[in-house]
Amino acid sequence: MIGLARTFLRLASLQASWTYERMQGIGIAVAMEPLLVPLAENPDRASAARARSAQYFNAHPFLAGAAVGALARAELDGEPGERILRLRTALSGPLGALGDQLFWAGVVPAAMGLAMLGVTQGYGLGVIALTVLGYNALRIAVTAWGLRIGLAHGIRVAHAISESWLPRAAPRAGDVAAVLIGAAVPMVAAWLLRGSGEPVRASVLVVAGAAALGVLTMRRPLSAPALTVGAAALTLLWRWSAA
Amino acid sequence: MTEFPLAALLIWGTVVGLDLASMLQGLFNRPLVAGAVAGVILNDPMAGLRIGLALELFALDVLPVGASRYPDYGAATVAAVAFGAGQAWTAALGPAVLLGLVLAHFGGLTIVLHRRVTAWALARAEAALDRGAPGIAPKIHLAGVLADLIRSAALAAIGLLAAALLKHAPQLDVGTQRALAIVVVAGGFVAVIGGALRRAGSPRRMLWLAGGLALGVLGLGLR
Repeated sequence: MIGLARTFLRLASLQASWTYERMQGIGIAVAMEPLLVPLAENPDRASAARARSAQYFNAHPFLAGAAVGALARAELDGEPGERILRLRTALSGPLGALGDQLFWAGVVPAAMGLAMLGVTQGYGLGVIALTVLGYNALRIAVTAWGLRIGLAHGIRVAHAISESWLPRAAPRAGDVAAVLIGAAVPMVAAWLLRGSGEPVRASVLVVAGAAALGVLTMRRPLSAPALTVGAAALTLLWRWSAA
Repeated sequence: MTEFPLAALLIWGTVVGLDLASMLQGLFNRPLVAGAVAGVILNDPMAGLRIGLALELFALDVLPVGASRYPDYGAATVAAVAFGAGQAWTAALGPAVLLGLVLAHFGGLTIVLHRRVTAWALARAEAALDRGAPGIAPKIHLAGVLADLIRSAALAAIGLLAAALLKHAPQLDVGTQRALAIVVVAGGFVAVIGGALRRAGSPRRMLWLAGGLALGVLGLGLR
Protein backbone atom coordinates (compact mmCIF):
# COMPACT_ATOMS: atom_id res chain seq x y z
CA MET A 1 0.00 0.00 0.00
CA ILE A 2 2.86 2.38 0.87
CA GLY A 3 4.59 1.40 -2.39
CA LEU A 4 1.42 2.18 -4.33
CA ALA A 5 1.10 5.60 -2.67
CA ARG A 6 4.75 6.38 -3.46
CA THR A 7 4.25 5.35 -7.08
CA PHE A 8 1.15 7.53 -7.29
CA LEU A 9 3.04 10.56 -5.93
CA ARG A 10 5.99 9.95 -8.26
CA LEU A 11 3.64 9.91 -11.26
CA ALA A 12 3.02 13.62 -10.60
CA SER A 13 6.60 14.39 -11.68
CA LEU A 14 6.79 11.81 -14.48
CA GLN A 15 8.16 14.22 -17.10
CA ALA A 16 10.83 15.98 -15.01
CA SER A 17 13.55 13.86 -16.63
CA TRP A 18 12.10 13.88 -20.16
CA THR A 19 14.76 13.54 -22.88
CA TYR A 20 14.67 13.07 -26.65
CA GLU A 21 16.52 9.75 -26.21
CA ARG A 22 14.24 7.90 -23.75
CA MET A 23 11.40 10.42 -23.49
CA GLN A 24 9.50 9.46 -20.28
CA GLY A 25 11.58 6.30 -19.71
CA ILE A 26 13.42 7.54 -16.61
CA GLY A 27 10.21 8.92 -15.08
CA ILE A 28 8.51 5.56 -15.61
CA ALA A 29 11.45 3.78 -13.92
CA VAL A 30 11.26 6.12 -10.93
CA ALA A 31 7.50 5.66 -10.61
CA MET A 32 7.76 1.85 -10.93
CA GLU A 33 10.56 1.49 -8.38
CA PRO A 34 8.35 1.25 -5.22
CA LEU A 35 6.19 -1.43 -6.88
CA LEU A 36 9.25 -3.58 -7.68
CA VAL A 37 10.39 -3.83 -4.03
CA PRO A 38 9.15 -7.47 -3.74
CA LEU A 39 11.74 -8.45 -6.39
CA ALA A 40 14.60 -7.41 -4.06
CA GLU A 41 14.87 -11.01 -2.81
CA ASN A 42 16.14 -11.99 -6.28
CA PRO A 43 18.85 -9.45 -7.26
CA ASP A 44 19.17 -10.69 -10.86
CA ARG A 45 15.43 -10.37 -11.52
CA ALA A 46 15.39 -6.98 -9.79
CA SER A 47 18.29 -5.67 -11.93
CA ALA A 48 16.71 -6.92 -15.16
CA ALA A 49 13.37 -5.33 -14.20
CA ARG A 50 15.07 -2.01 -13.34
CA ALA A 51 16.96 -2.00 -16.65
CA ARG A 52 13.74 -2.65 -18.61
CA SER A 53 11.81 -0.03 -16.64
CA ALA A 54 14.15 2.78 -17.78
CA GLN A 55 13.88 2.05 -21.52
CA TYR A 56 12.23 4.40 -24.03
CA PHE A 57 8.60 5.17 -23.28
CA ASN A 58 6.22 7.95 -24.22
CA ALA A 59 2.51 8.32 -23.48
CA HIS A 60 0.20 10.93 -22.07
CA PRO A 61 1.53 11.69 -18.56
CA PHE A 62 -1.91 11.38 -16.91
CA LEU A 63 -2.46 7.90 -18.38
CA ALA A 64 1.10 6.63 -17.92
CA GLY A 65 -0.03 5.17 -14.57
CA ALA A 66 -1.78 2.41 -16.53
CA ALA A 67 1.55 1.46 -18.13
CA VAL A 68 3.40 1.69 -14.81
CA GLY A 69 0.84 -0.57 -13.12
CA ALA A 70 0.72 -3.08 -15.98
CA LEU A 71 4.50 -3.27 -16.40
CA ALA A 72 5.03 -3.69 -12.64
CA ARG A 73 2.37 -6.43 -12.50
CA ALA A 74 4.03 -8.23 -15.43
CA GLU A 75 7.44 -8.04 -13.70
CA LEU A 76 5.99 -9.35 -10.41
CA ASP A 77 4.16 -12.14 -12.26
CA GLY A 78 7.46 -13.23 -13.83
CA GLU A 79 6.45 -12.64 -17.46
CA PRO A 80 9.34 -13.08 -19.95
CA GLY A 81 11.42 -9.92 -20.46
CA GLU A 82 10.77 -9.75 -24.21
CA ARG A 83 7.02 -9.89 -23.61
CA ILE A 84 7.28 -7.04 -21.09
CA LEU A 85 9.23 -4.90 -23.56
CA ARG A 86 6.62 -5.64 -26.25
CA LEU A 87 3.88 -4.54 -23.83
CA ARG A 88 5.81 -1.34 -23.17
CA THR A 89 5.99 -0.56 -26.90
CA ALA A 90 2.37 -1.53 -27.49
CA LEU A 91 1.03 0.74 -24.73
CA SER A 92 3.03 3.82 -25.68
CA GLY A 93 1.05 4.89 -28.78
CA PRO A 94 -2.54 4.25 -27.64
CA LEU A 95 -2.06 5.77 -24.18
CA GLY A 96 -0.49 8.81 -25.84
CA ALA A 97 -3.21 9.23 -28.44
CA LEU A 98 -6.11 8.70 -26.02
CA GLY A 99 -4.63 11.01 -23.41
CA ASP A 100 -3.82 13.75 -25.90
CA GLN A 101 -7.37 13.53 -27.28
CA LEU A 102 -8.97 13.48 -23.82
CA PHE A 103 -6.85 16.08 -22.03
CA TRP A 104 -4.83 18.30 -24.39
CA ALA A 105 -7.55 18.56 -27.07
CA GLY A 106 -10.56 18.08 -24.78
CA VAL A 107 -10.54 18.71 -21.04
CA VAL A 108 -7.88 21.48 -20.99
CA PRO A 109 -9.49 23.70 -23.69
CA ALA A 110 -12.94 22.94 -22.24
CA ALA A 111 -11.80 23.96 -18.75
CA MET A 112 -10.18 27.13 -20.05
CA GLY A 113 -13.22 27.92 -22.23
CA LEU A 114 -15.44 27.60 -19.17
CA ALA A 115 -13.10 29.76 -17.08
CA MET A 116 -12.95 32.40 -19.82
CA LEU A 117 -16.76 32.50 -20.04
CA GLY A 118 -16.95 32.80 -16.25
CA VAL A 119 -14.47 35.68 -16.20
CA THR A 120 -16.43 37.58 -18.87
CA GLN A 121 -19.61 37.12 -16.77
CA GLY A 122 -17.93 38.67 -13.73
CA TYR A 123 -17.14 35.52 -11.73
CA GLY A 124 -13.39 36.19 -12.04
CA LEU A 125 -11.23 34.52 -9.44
CA GLY A 126 -13.97 32.21 -8.14
CA VAL A 127 -14.55 30.49 -11.47
CA ILE A 128 -10.79 30.13 -12.01
CA ALA A 129 -10.35 28.54 -8.56
CA LEU A 130 -13.23 26.12 -9.23
CA THR A 131 -11.84 25.23 -12.66
CA VAL A 132 -8.39 24.47 -11.25
CA LEU A 133 -9.86 22.40 -8.40
CA GLY A 134 -12.17 20.44 -10.71
CA TYR A 135 -9.45 19.82 -13.26
CA ASN A 136 -6.98 18.57 -10.67
CA ALA A 137 -9.59 16.33 -9.08
CA LEU A 138 -10.18 14.77 -12.51
CA ARG A 139 -6.47 14.55 -13.28
CA ILE A 140 -5.76 12.78 -9.96
CA ALA A 141 -8.75 10.45 -10.36
CA VAL A 142 -7.66 9.45 -13.90
CA THR A 143 -4.07 8.81 -12.78
CA ALA A 144 -5.31 6.66 -9.87
CA TRP A 145 -7.71 4.79 -12.17
CA GLY A 146 -4.91 4.12 -14.66
CA LEU A 147 -2.60 2.78 -11.98
CA ARG A 148 -5.36 0.57 -10.59
CA ILE A 149 -6.42 -0.86 -13.96
CA GLY A 150 -2.78 -1.49 -14.90
CA LEU A 151 -2.02 -3.36 -11.68
CA ALA A 152 -5.24 -5.35 -11.90
CA HIS A 153 -4.88 -6.48 -15.53
CA GLY A 154 -1.11 -6.59 -16.12
CA ILE A 155 -0.26 -7.90 -19.58
CA ARG A 156 -3.94 -7.70 -20.64
CA VAL A 157 -4.32 -4.02 -19.75
CA ALA A 158 -4.85 -2.87 -23.36
CA HIS A 159 -8.04 -4.94 -23.59
CA ALA A 160 -9.24 -3.61 -20.23
CA ILE A 161 -8.68 -0.02 -21.38
CA SER A 162 -10.44 -0.61 -24.71
CA GLU A 163 -13.51 -1.88 -22.77
CA SER A 164 -13.47 1.03 -20.34
CA TRP A 165 -15.05 4.53 -20.44
CA LEU A 166 -11.86 6.06 -21.88
CA PRO A 167 -12.19 5.47 -25.66
CA ARG A 168 -15.77 6.79 -25.59
CA ALA A 169 -15.03 9.83 -23.42
CA ALA A 170 -12.01 11.08 -25.36
CA PRO A 171 -13.81 12.32 -28.52
CA ARG A 172 -16.73 13.71 -26.49
CA ALA A 173 -14.35 15.89 -24.47
CA GLY A 174 -13.27 17.48 -27.75
CA ASP A 175 -16.90 18.23 -28.68
CA VAL A 176 -17.48 19.93 -25.33
CA ALA A 177 -14.27 21.92 -25.78
CA ALA A 178 -15.36 23.05 -29.27
CA VAL A 179 -18.70 24.38 -27.95
CA LEU A 180 -17.13 26.16 -24.96
CA ILE A 181 -14.30 27.73 -26.97
CA GLY A 182 -16.77 28.77 -29.69
CA ALA A 183 -19.05 30.41 -27.11
CA ALA A 184 -16.15 32.07 -25.31
CA VAL A 185 -14.66 33.73 -28.42
CA PRO A 186 -17.21 36.58 -28.94
CA MET A 187 -17.68 37.05 -25.17
CA VAL A 188 -13.95 37.39 -24.59
CA ALA A 189 -13.58 39.77 -27.54
CA ALA A 190 -16.28 42.05 -26.13
CA TRP A 191 -14.83 41.83 -22.61
CA LEU A 192 -11.27 42.59 -23.70
CA LEU A 193 -12.27 45.47 -25.94
CA ARG A 194 -14.74 47.01 -23.50
CA GLY A 195 -13.90 50.68 -23.15
CA SER A 196 -12.70 51.12 -26.69
CA GLY A 197 -15.79 53.22 -27.56
CA GLU A 198 -17.91 50.78 -29.51
CA PRO A 199 -17.35 47.40 -27.88
CA VAL A 200 -19.85 45.29 -29.85
CA ARG A 201 -18.88 46.71 -33.24
CA ALA A 202 -15.18 46.51 -32.51
CA SER A 203 -15.60 42.96 -31.18
CA VAL A 204 -17.53 41.78 -34.22
CA LEU A 205 -14.94 43.30 -36.56
CA VAL A 206 -11.99 41.79 -34.68
CA VAL A 207 -13.58 38.34 -34.36
CA ALA A 208 -14.75 38.31 -37.99
CA GLY A 209 -11.32 39.34 -39.26
CA ALA A 210 -9.53 36.82 -37.05
CA ALA A 211 -11.98 34.05 -38.00
CA ALA A 212 -11.40 34.78 -41.69
CA LEU A 213 -7.64 34.63 -41.19
CA GLY A 214 -8.02 31.47 -39.10
CA VAL A 215 -10.01 29.79 -41.91
CA LEU A 216 -7.58 30.97 -44.60
CA THR A 217 -4.59 29.60 -42.69
CA MET A 218 -6.20 26.32 -41.63
CA ARG A 219 -4.16 24.19 -44.01
CA ARG A 220 -0.99 26.24 -43.75
CA PRO A 221 -0.89 27.38 -40.11
CA LEU A 222 0.94 30.57 -39.32
CA SER A 223 2.50 31.53 -36.02
CA ALA A 224 -0.05 33.83 -34.40
CA PRO A 225 2.48 35.16 -31.84
CA ALA A 226 4.98 36.00 -34.62
CA LEU A 227 2.19 37.60 -36.67
CA THR A 228 1.13 39.66 -33.63
CA VAL A 229 4.65 40.86 -32.81
CA GLY A 230 5.21 41.73 -36.48
CA ALA A 231 1.90 43.62 -36.71
CA ALA A 232 2.71 45.47 -33.47
CA ALA A 233 6.11 46.51 -34.86
CA LEU A 234 4.44 47.82 -38.03
CA THR A 235 1.86 49.67 -35.92
CA LEU A 236 4.61 51.35 -33.90
CA LEU A 237 6.43 52.29 -37.12
CA TRP A 238 3.26 53.70 -38.65
CA ARG A 239 2.39 55.72 -35.53
CA TRP A 240 5.96 56.98 -35.24
CA SER A 241 6.12 58.07 -38.90
CA ALA A 242 2.71 59.77 -38.61
CA ALA A 243 3.72 61.74 -35.50
CA MET B 1 12.34 46.30 -8.73
CA THR B 2 11.09 47.37 -5.31
CA GLU B 3 7.74 48.29 -6.92
CA PHE B 4 6.83 44.56 -7.02
CA PRO B 5 6.33 42.13 -4.18
CA LEU B 6 9.35 40.49 -5.74
CA ALA B 7 9.72 37.38 -3.59
CA ALA B 8 6.07 36.37 -3.99
CA LEU B 9 6.14 36.90 -7.77
CA LEU B 10 9.43 35.02 -8.09
CA ILE B 11 8.05 32.06 -6.14
CA TRP B 12 4.81 32.06 -8.14
CA GLY B 13 6.73 32.35 -11.44
CA THR B 14 8.87 29.38 -10.42
CA VAL B 15 5.87 27.28 -9.36
CA VAL B 16 4.07 27.87 -12.65
CA GLY B 17 7.27 27.05 -14.57
CA LEU B 18 7.54 23.69 -12.80
CA ASP B 19 3.86 23.02 -13.47
CA LEU B 20 4.36 23.28 -17.25
CA ALA B 21 5.83 19.79 -17.63
CA SER B 22 7.87 18.60 -14.66
CA MET B 23 5.38 18.66 -11.79
CA LEU B 24 1.63 18.01 -11.66
CA GLN B 25 0.59 19.87 -14.85
CA GLY B 26 -2.43 21.13 -12.93
CA LEU B 27 -3.33 24.22 -15.05
CA PHE B 28 -1.23 26.59 -12.87
CA ASN B 29 0.92 27.35 -15.92
CA ARG B 30 -2.11 28.47 -17.97
CA PRO B 31 -1.93 32.24 -18.57
CA LEU B 32 -5.42 32.85 -17.16
CA VAL B 33 -4.55 31.08 -13.89
CA ALA B 34 -0.97 32.37 -13.62
CA GLY B 35 -2.15 35.89 -14.47
CA ALA B 36 -5.07 35.88 -12.03
CA VAL B 37 -2.84 34.87 -9.10
CA ALA B 38 -0.14 37.38 -10.14
CA GLY B 39 -2.87 40.07 -10.23
CA VAL B 40 -3.90 39.17 -6.68
CA ILE B 41 -0.26 39.30 -5.52
CA LEU B 42 0.05 42.75 -7.12
CA ASN B 43 -3.28 43.90 -5.68
CA ASP B 44 -4.70 44.44 -9.18
CA PRO B 45 -6.78 41.33 -9.95
CA MET B 46 -8.42 42.92 -13.02
CA ALA B 47 -5.05 43.48 -14.69
CA GLY B 48 -4.20 39.84 -13.98
CA LEU B 49 -7.46 38.61 -15.48
CA ARG B 50 -7.31 40.83 -18.56
CA ILE B 51 -3.67 40.18 -19.46
CA GLY B 52 -4.00 36.50 -18.52
CA LEU B 53 -7.09 36.15 -20.69
CA ALA B 54 -5.43 37.81 -23.69
CA LEU B 55 -2.39 35.50 -23.41
CA GLU B 56 -4.68 32.49 -22.85
CA LEU B 57 -6.01 33.00 -26.40
CA PHE B 58 -2.49 32.35 -27.72
CA ALA B 59 -1.87 29.44 -25.34
CA LEU B 60 -5.03 27.66 -26.54
CA ASP B 61 -3.32 27.17 -29.91
CA VAL B 62 -0.55 25.11 -28.28
CA LEU B 63 -0.65 21.31 -28.03
CA PRO B 64 2.17 20.20 -25.69
CA VAL B 65 2.45 16.70 -27.13
CA GLY B 66 5.43 14.36 -27.20
CA ALA B 67 8.67 15.87 -28.43
CA SER B 68 7.05 19.06 -29.76
CA ARG B 69 8.54 22.43 -28.86
CA TYR B 70 6.16 24.75 -27.09
CA PRO B 71 6.32 28.16 -25.40
CA ASP B 72 6.26 28.57 -21.61
CA TYR B 73 3.45 31.02 -20.92
CA GLY B 74 3.49 30.75 -17.09
CA ALA B 75 6.37 32.95 -15.94
CA ALA B 76 5.86 35.10 -19.06
CA THR B 77 2.32 35.90 -17.91
CA VAL B 78 3.50 36.67 -14.36
CA ALA B 79 6.01 39.18 -15.81
CA ALA B 80 3.41 40.65 -18.19
CA VAL B 81 0.99 41.22 -15.28
CA ALA B 82 3.83 42.71 -13.18
CA PHE B 83 4.30 45.22 -16.00
CA GLY B 84 0.61 45.94 -16.54
CA ALA B 85 -0.63 46.10 -12.94
CA GLY B 86 -1.54 49.55 -11.69
CA GLN B 87 -1.84 51.02 -15.19
CA ALA B 88 -4.95 51.89 -17.22
CA TRP B 89 -5.77 48.69 -19.16
CA THR B 90 -5.86 50.46 -22.53
CA ALA B 91 -2.30 51.61 -21.89
CA ALA B 92 -1.03 48.32 -20.53
CA LEU B 93 -2.75 45.56 -22.53
CA GLY B 94 -0.80 45.84 -25.80
CA PRO B 95 2.74 46.18 -24.40
CA ALA B 96 2.05 43.63 -21.60
CA VAL B 97 0.83 40.96 -24.02
CA LEU B 98 3.74 41.63 -26.39
CA LEU B 99 6.16 41.25 -23.47
CA GLY B 100 4.41 38.01 -22.51
CA LEU B 101 4.64 36.60 -26.05
CA VAL B 102 8.36 37.31 -26.36
CA LEU B 103 9.11 35.87 -22.91
CA ALA B 104 6.96 32.78 -23.56
CA HIS B 105 8.95 31.96 -26.67
CA PHE B 106 12.22 32.59 -24.88
CA GLY B 107 10.89 30.20 -22.20
CA GLY B 108 10.30 27.61 -24.91
CA LEU B 109 14.00 27.73 -25.77
CA THR B 110 14.89 27.10 -22.12
CA ILE B 111 12.76 23.92 -22.17
CA VAL B 112 14.97 22.55 -24.95
CA LEU B 113 18.03 23.49 -22.88
CA HIS B 114 16.56 21.66 -19.87
CA ARG B 115 16.04 18.54 -21.96
CA ARG B 116 19.64 18.70 -23.17
CA VAL B 117 20.98 19.03 -19.62
CA THR B 118 18.94 15.98 -18.58
CA ALA B 119 20.18 14.10 -21.66
CA TRP B 120 23.78 14.93 -20.65
CA ALA B 121 23.16 13.47 -17.17
CA LEU B 122 21.51 10.45 -18.80
CA ALA B 123 24.44 9.84 -21.16
CA ARG B 124 26.85 9.72 -18.22
CA ALA B 125 24.75 7.06 -16.49
CA GLU B 126 23.58 5.06 -19.52
CA ALA B 127 25.71 1.95 -18.91
CA ALA B 128 24.69 1.73 -15.24
CA LEU B 129 21.03 2.21 -16.19
CA ASP B 130 21.20 -0.59 -18.77
CA ARG B 131 22.79 -2.88 -16.14
CA GLY B 132 19.85 -2.15 -13.83
CA ALA B 133 22.05 -0.63 -11.11
CA PRO B 134 19.88 0.55 -8.20
CA GLY B 135 19.36 4.26 -7.48
CA ILE B 136 20.54 5.57 -10.89
CA ALA B 137 17.15 6.48 -12.39
CA PRO B 138 16.05 8.43 -9.27
CA LYS B 139 19.33 10.41 -9.37
CA ILE B 140 18.81 11.41 -13.03
CA HIS B 141 15.19 12.23 -12.25
CA LEU B 142 16.15 14.42 -9.31
CA ALA B 143 18.71 16.19 -11.51
CA GLY B 144 15.87 16.85 -13.99
CA VAL B 145 13.65 18.32 -11.25
CA LEU B 146 16.47 20.54 -9.96
CA ALA B 147 17.38 21.70 -13.47
CA ASP B 148 13.75 22.65 -14.13
CA LEU B 149 13.55 24.44 -10.78
CA ILE B 150 16.59 26.53 -11.76
CA ARG B 151 15.18 27.07 -15.28
CA SER B 152 11.82 28.24 -13.96
CA ALA B 153 13.32 30.55 -11.30
CA ALA B 154 15.75 32.07 -13.83
CA LEU B 155 12.95 32.60 -16.35
CA ALA B 156 10.77 34.29 -13.70
CA ALA B 157 13.66 36.53 -12.63
CA ILE B 158 14.49 37.54 -16.22
CA GLY B 159 10.80 38.22 -16.91
CA LEU B 160 10.40 40.40 -13.82
CA LEU B 161 13.58 42.31 -14.66
CA ALA B 162 12.27 42.96 -18.19
CA ALA B 163 8.91 44.09 -16.76
CA ALA B 164 10.63 46.50 -14.35
CA LEU B 165 12.78 47.99 -17.13
CA LEU B 166 9.79 48.36 -19.46
CA LYS B 167 7.77 50.05 -16.73
CA HIS B 168 10.33 52.86 -16.72
CA ALA B 169 10.28 53.28 -20.52
CA PRO B 170 8.56 56.40 -21.98
CA GLN B 171 4.74 56.10 -22.27
CA LEU B 172 3.16 55.64 -25.69
CA ASP B 173 0.48 58.09 -26.82
CA VAL B 174 -3.19 57.07 -26.39
CA GLY B 175 -3.74 56.31 -30.10
CA THR B 176 -0.76 53.95 -30.24
CA GLN B 177 -1.81 52.25 -27.00
CA ARG B 178 -5.28 51.57 -28.40
CA ALA B 179 -3.90 50.36 -31.71
CA LEU B 180 -1.55 47.94 -29.94
CA ALA B 181 -4.41 46.64 -27.76
CA ILE B 182 -6.47 45.91 -30.90
CA VAL B 183 -3.47 44.23 -32.57
CA VAL B 184 -2.77 41.86 -29.65
CA VAL B 185 -6.44 40.96 -29.16
CA ALA B 186 -6.84 40.28 -32.89
CA GLY B 187 -3.65 38.19 -32.83
CA GLY B 188 -5.06 36.22 -29.92
CA PHE B 189 -8.21 35.48 -31.87
CA VAL B 190 -6.26 34.39 -34.94
CA ALA B 191 -4.52 31.92 -32.60
CA VAL B 192 -7.58 30.60 -30.79
CA ILE B 193 -9.86 30.38 -33.85
CA GLY B 194 -7.14 28.95 -36.11
CA GLY B 195 -6.23 26.42 -33.43
CA ALA B 196 -9.85 25.42 -32.79
CA LEU B 197 -10.51 24.95 -36.52
CA ARG B 198 -7.38 22.84 -37.05
CA ARG B 199 -8.14 20.73 -33.97
CA ALA B 200 -11.78 20.27 -34.96
CA GLY B 201 -10.76 18.12 -37.94
CA SER B 202 -14.12 16.50 -38.65
CA PRO B 203 -17.21 18.32 -40.02
CA ARG B 204 -19.12 17.14 -36.91
CA ARG B 205 -16.69 18.89 -34.57
CA MET B 206 -16.83 22.00 -36.81
CA LEU B 207 -20.58 22.05 -36.22
CA TRP B 208 -20.04 21.95 -32.44
CA LEU B 209 -17.62 24.85 -32.78
CA ALA B 210 -20.03 26.83 -35.00
CA GLY B 211 -22.86 26.11 -32.54
CA GLY B 212 -20.77 27.42 -29.67
CA LEU B 213 -19.84 30.52 -31.66
CA ALA B 214 -23.51 31.16 -32.45
CA LEU B 215 -24.39 30.82 -28.75
CA GLY B 216 -21.66 33.30 -27.87
CA VAL B 217 -22.81 35.84 -30.44
CA LEU B 218 -26.41 35.40 -29.25
CA GLY B 219 -25.32 35.91 -25.66
CA LEU B 220 -23.46 39.04 -26.67
CA GLY B 221 -26.47 40.39 -28.56
CA LEU B 222 -28.75 39.81 -25.57
CA ARG B 223 -26.56 41.84 -23.22
